[in-house]
Amino acid sequence: MLKICTVYFKGFYTPDYVSKLYRSLKRNSTVPFEFICLSDTDVEADLVLPYNHHSAIKKHWHKLKFFSPQFGGQKPGDEIIVMDIDQVITNNVDDLLNHPVEDNELITYGQWWDNKLKLNGGFYKFKSGSLKSIWDDFSLNPHFWQLHYYNTGVVHHKYYGEQNYVNWKVQQHNIKLTLTPKEWLGRHTDNTMDNVELNKIYSKKFNTDYMILDDVNEKIKVVHFTGVGKTIHEHKDNFIKKHWL
Amino acid sequence: MRIICCRFGKKFNQWHVDNLKHMIDNYSGLKYDSFEVIENDIYGNWYNKLQMYDKFRDGENLYFDLDVVIFNKLPNLVRKNFTLLDDSWWREPAHTPLNSSIVSWTGDVSHIWDKFKSKEQFYLKKYHKGSDEFYFKETFYLTYDKVCPSIKDHIYEKPKDYSIATLGQMHHLQEEGWSGWYSDYFTSLK
Repeated sequence: MLKICTVYFKGFYTPDYVSKLYRSLKRNSTVPFEFICLSDTDVEADLVLPYNHHSAIKKHWHKLKFFSPQFGGQKPGDEIIVMDIDQVITNNVDDLLNHPVEDNELITYGQWWDNKLKLNGGFYKFKSGSLKSIWDDFSLNPHFWQLHYYNTGVVHHKYYGEQNYVNWKVQQHNIKLTLTPKEWLGRHTDNTMDNVELNKIYSKKFNTDYMILDDVNEKIKVVHFTGVGKTIHEHKDNFIKKHWL
Repeated sequence: MRIICCRFGKKFNQWHVDNLKHMIDNYSGLKYDSFEVIENDIYGNWYNKLQMYDKFRDGENLYFDLDVVIFNKLPNLVRKNFTLLDDSWWREPAHTPLNSSIVSWTGDVSHIWDKFKSKEQFYLKKYHKGSDEFYFKETFYLTYDKVCPSIKDHIYEKPKDYSIATLGQMHHLQEEGWSGWYSDYFTSLK
């Protein structure tokens, strides 16, 4: 069984981000899956699990729970996808959801822009339990890891750094990191000039049209809104009106 | 015999109290006369537990933290003298080797409370990491043999030679969504 897992908590986003991701995945795929959301409020999902604000685990770090085979009703042989909710599905994602994965392998978005990290926390796919060390190591000392990257100046917002942690564990445990085709992923920001520049880079790199004009380049399956505080609902672009339903 | 637990703040709720009682009633083999819950939140931290030495000054007393899993018949944990856990067989001692997840005494040990209360601001500041350091540095105590490992070393397999484990930092295992060997012993979350 394929389980698509997300985390929602009150802050930048609203519960309809979860609904829109769920519905757009259904609309743009033929792959059967169970959609799970760890949430602090009622959201639209096949299974909603409680987000505990009194827990030692903070914010995005709850995503790591899905690396444990003991969380979310996982069964041996399940394939697990963990997705951020700040994404717009713009095309058929069967190839993304069905991306083959082996034990001790992590599938993540290939990124075509400069990034210090190879992996992208917006999408992880792995075999249930095969990467349990990522959760197990973290759960031994969540206080340390959740502030480690902030305390060492790697990230500039408290409790950020979950991607950095996973990146480190991938290296430490010799986990095979596989990137999805880079042209599948679009990137959008709230800065017009940045978006123009990103369009140029995408067009040149993949010898194709701009990434996003009125609609989204047909090569793109998902547009990810990256960065702290970047929201989808504040954008008025046509492609969002068309695809974020 | 008196069973005691302590619940305050938002980290633990009525489910945790009910769950401890459920495990004691169904798996521990313990026979007890009363089940007592300390709920008076004076300090906002685990120093609240020390109230039990003032409140219960007679008979046999056996205290459990709420974040334990009891999965079999317990050995006799009731003690005459003030006794608590020594964790140094499964972890580095750090600021204290002691762990008050299980405590027992018979009769009156209110001198522990009296000593703490006599200079509570001093002790709260001096042993700010927790009351277990207060016990370590300021009380006369005995310790149990190896009766209570940490679940962190037994996440995927139930420990064979024990009947209780402390969850320690792994409180999340008592939340909805987690399922392991330990879940079979918890009362329903719904």
